[in-house]
Amino acid sequence: MWPLKFKLNGKRMSRKVKPTQTLLDFLRLEMDLTGTKGACEEGECGSCYVLVDGKPMNSCMMLAPQVQDREVVTIEGLAKGRKLDVIQRKFIECGAVQCGYCTPGLIMAAKALLAENPHPTREEFLVGIEGNICRCTGYNKIMRACESAADEMGLKK
Amino acid sequence: MSKSTEILDKQIAALHVTARSSSAYEQKQMKVVGKGAQRLDAVGKATGETKYGQDLFSKKFLFAKALRAAHPHAEILSIDPREAKKVPGVITVLTHKDVSGTNLHGLIRRDQEVLCSHKVRYLGDAIAIVVATDEEIAGAALRKIKVDYKPLPALFTMEDALKPDAPKIHAEGNVLGEKHLRKGDAPTAMAEADVIVEDVIQTQSVDHAFLDLEAGRARWDGKMLTIEVSGQWLHEERRLIALALGLPLEKLRIIQPATGGAFGGREDISIQIYLGLCALKLKAKTICMRYSRAESMMVRHKRHPIRVHYKLGAKKDGTLVAAQVTFYVDKGAYASTGIAVMRKASSHATGPYKVPNVWVDVIGVFTNNNPCGAMRGFGAAQTAIAYEGLMDRLAVKLGMDKAELRMKNLVKSGDEVTTGQVVPYATAVECFDAVLTRIDWKNRSYATPAPHLKRGYGVSIVCFGLGYGDGFPDASRARCRLTEDGIVELYSSGVDVGQGLINMVSQIAAEEIGVPLEKVRPILADTQLTPESGSTSATRQTYFTGSAVQLAAAELKKQLQDIAAAHLKELVYEIQIENGEAYNAVRPAKRMTLKELAREGKRRGFSLEATSVFKPPTMPEDTRTGQSMRAFVTYLFGSHACQLLVDTETGEVKIERYIACHDVGRAINPDQVIGQIQGGVTMGIGMALMEEVVLKDGRILNPGFTDYILPTIRDVPEIECIVLENPDPGGPFGARGVGEPPLIGTGPAILSAIYDAIGTPVRELPATPERIWRAMAS
Amino acid sequence: MGEALDLKAELNERGVFLAGGTDLVVLINRGIKVAENFIDLSHIPELRAINKRNGTIELAGNVTHAQCGKLPVKCLSLASLSVGGPGIRELGTIAGNLATASPAGDGSTALLALDAEVELTSTRGARRLPLEKFFLSYRKTALAPDELITKVSIPTNYRSDWLKNGKRGAVNISVVAAAVAITPKKEARIALASVAPTPMRCPDAEAAFAKGADARQVAEIVRTEIKPITDHRASADYKTHLAGVMVRRLLESLCGH
Repeated sequence: MWPLKFKLNGKRMSRKVKPTQTLLDFLRLEMDLTGTKGACEEGECGSCYVLVDGKPMNSCMMLAPQVQDREVVTIEGLAKGRKLDVIQRKFIECGAVQCGYCTPGLIMAAKALLAENPHPTREEFLVGIEGNICRCTGYNKIMRACESAADEMGLKK
Repeated sequence: MSKSTEILDKQIAALHVTARSSSAYEQKQMKVVGKGAQRLDAVGKATGETKYGQDLFSKKFLFAKALRAAHPHAEILSIDPREAKKVPGVITVLTHKDVSGTNLHGLIRRDQEVLCSHKVRYLGDAIAIVVATDEEIAGAALRKIKVDYKPLPALFTMEDALKPDAPKIHAEGNVLGEKHLRKGDAPTAMAEADVIVEDVIQTQSVDHAFLDLEAGRARWDGKMLTIEVSGQWLHEERRLIALALGLPLEKLRIIQPATGGAFGGREDISIQIYLGLCALKLKAKTICMRYSRAESMMVRHKRHPIRVHYKLGAKKDGTLVAAQVTFYVDKGAYASTGIAVMRKASSHATGPYKVPNVWVDVIGVFTNNNPCGAMRGFGAAQTAIAYEGLMDRLAVKLGMDKAELRMKNLVKSGDEVTTGQVVPYATAVECFDAVLTRIDWKNRSYATPAPHLKRGYGVSIVCFGLGYGDGFPDASRARCRLTEDGIVELYSSGVDVGQGLINMVSQIAAEEIGVPLEKVRPILADTQLTPESGSTSATRQTYFTGSAVQLAAAELKKQLQDIAAAHLKELVYEIQIENGEAYNAVRPAKRMTLKELAREGKRRGFSLEATSVFKPPTMPEDTRTGQSMRAFVTYLFGSHACQLLVDTETGEVKIERYIACHDVGRAINPDQVIGQIQGGVTMGIGMALMEEVVLKDGRILNPGFTDYILPTIRDVPEIECIVLENPDPGGPFGARGVGEPPLIGTGPAILSAIYDAIGTPVRELPATPERIWRAMAS
Repeated sequence: MGEALDLKAELNERGVFLAGGTDLVVLINRGIKVAENFIDLSHIPELRAINKRNGTIELAGNVTHAQCGKLPVKCLSLASLSVGGPGIRELGTIAGNLATASPAGDGSTALLALDAEVELTSTRGARRLPLEKFFLSYRKTALAPDELITKVSIPTNYRSDWLKNGKRGAVNISVVAAAVAITPKKEARIALASVAPTPMRCPDAEAAFAKGADARQVAEIVRTEIKPITDHRASADYKTHLAGVMVRRLLESLCGH
């Protein structure tokens, strides 16, 4: 068992982990954070995105010990109590949520993108979310939600 | 710089149009129905709190894993689980001997064993289940189960399966069944036709690829077996599970977790019976099970690959006179819903076109490939690709504009469709007109930015019967109840797979009774609590479950009006309910809130509850002619137009513009309707251009998302939606449905555009860059 | 880093280097036991460094595809941005790409066209190798069992470009991919992915270019040099055709003819 020390959604954590457990399984089964989803085990769909030191990463492609000394943020870490993150709100308002399975991963991808680049062009948006597969919505409303979030965040500055 | 919300709103308003007909069915201004209300379950989904099947797991539970067949066709000589049972951490290993009821399941006929006893027919057949303290141990133990097989010659093509000396996959042979349609005299009419076109189109094996992998849990507490796995028809699953487990129905409870997509892929039983078996055996322990993506793809049923031989005859002015169609349907290893798919293919053989003489033959052939079953479109998707493809070829042969040819032959109100059923109100022409106008058909330009790029324009029109049809019992039941705290509880077993059923039923109930949406609490999909609603499939839930909900809500409203009349001492037929308050419009000062109605109702002995059943009948299609006066309860019309570029050097396609028009009767939630249209078109893009389950000797070579190619955001353009509302008198507030038609219209429109661009049709799906390149070279 | 090398020397086949994990963890998820031990390189800062000196850019082994996507070297930057999605680009490293030696390696192919040089380090010391000599055969490289790819050096003064053909608009393993670079001496470097057991260069085509052949002629020679196979992604003849089209387009964009 590996002694893992990392920060999770703002809190310092210390846990013994099985070295070959993926970060995804660790978060879901050990930390009881089931918001991050797994759908492909190959890093092809983005539903498992978490932020590691602010960067989006496929948690199904990582072994838990790789986040040693790093800061991990999952979908559960976005809302402040009952106050939703603007991206979460926009996904809901713009009808970008159907079955919802791809939603946490997409929100994390959008979050990482907008944190690094608050005024993305359409192409920059595409680069940021091209790694997320959605089987239900046809992506149009997802794009709308992302642009709308950037817009609102921009207005606040 | 991202655009301002105002500009985005204007763009969206320009992109999507909802047009209401000015017909006799116009109703009063509505408050909840027709509004794009926020999804009632969206917050949980956006915060990660919503629990799907796999989210119900705990480390404390036991894990189950299934052993699959080692050969696509073989006899089982012996199964020896002893070594596996010895692995530390293994609790039990189950085989067919442990199946407590009937070791069979299947939606139309029970021909699939739960755990194979003497024969395997495809690589996804299950032989044994291991239950262990964790997944890794269960997986390791699987490898220690010794199975002795006698391999049998396997059949992977329909041609091989139809040979007279072919080994029999099922006792009765390799033909599942045949379906025939005889309308008029097609051979004679064809012989007299001025122009004939003929071709063979091959569609491919497609996977549903919903993201939420098969997963769930089960527990037997001595009195009740509770299974929590996502399906599409709780009560039918319950019947099948009970039969397999030998358990009385009342001891079996199915609860649907949140469901991440289905598209027909959860119609067949997946892990429910395995979990039930393990739970019954291990008493008072919770068992969980999940599929990996690879297992999910390798085990699950697929869309039927269909080879369509289509012959179409017309007069020289373009009037269609005859169609002769033969469908060869690759059934795979088991029957599943194959007969119904075959039937839907044949009953939609001429789609939205008026053809007086139609002869259709469908033959379903077993092979040792994955069993085929339901997938969005259900046979009609494959058919549409064929008939629209032939219409294009006919237009070319006649030297006629392909839009003009189509417009000339579309069914109109009062015309017959393929099955001879008269469609009282057809809007095919309106839908087609809408997309032609939007894409400015008459002024379409073929000028491209570079000489190696060629532009193409494609069109398609959809005519699709909703519901099961063919006399198959199709019903939905609902219950409404007013609680003490003034909330309308709504009970339905309708499954929300992402399409928005939760809002559809809630908005209908709210509108019918006259309460704000916040006052409705939907309670869905728990066999202990909710009445049977039929499956989430066949584009039926809005029409059937929406109607059931409307009826139950209307009954509850009557009770509330009675209560108000008694309490307020007013005439009952003057009582209105609006915004959650009951009052007499003439004397509006005297009002009752829902809470007061509940209190008074209880005091006066009202049940405060109403149930309903909605069961409009259809008539079976004649076995010889395939004709029926009422094959389906109603029809859906739609039309698509596609503008794309083909890179003639590489065969790559770039869709520049996509327009989809659908007549949904009434959009209960227009936002969700647009979501379904865009999602269906995207799935159609996948089927047309990139998705293909590659099978070799019965083994899927691409059981993962690296090589099973799904559309990404870069593959999908802005999908412009035109929503028409021509109310159907049989649907709730005139609503029909929208689930499948958007997918059905897409493949044909894209192929039509590619044909337009390169001058040669692509006959095999998907139209990958390589296939397009080859078509050009030939 | 010394610790990592010592560990590897000690563990030999019982330990593998783990950088991003985007190739290794796929195998673990499939239930394949990759190794008993993993030596995590992702926390060694020197291995993420990018240094510019003497007209070259020195990329340390663990530089990610995301980092490479920002470099002013067009074929490498575009190749890196074409790898998977953003998450994979933040995890995957160039050393990982090189060590896996997939015939479809995007970064590897771009680096080949740039005459890249790799530094391989072990407890026994460091050695440099031209990338052309690094790929030996299908998924086999010149890397010794105890060696780590510590540096990749590329010139800054080549003009280059990149094209990738996949089966959809994003997140593709290439059907064919091509990188073309023009040296300051106006020589062509042509590298292709997915047309051979490893990413490969096209010396005959390059020689023809040096003799003044135009883009179309060079493309024809490329078609004779490569040996793609028919697989579930595409047929050999289509790949051959595509490779020619892509090289021709790249030469036209870089040289105008």
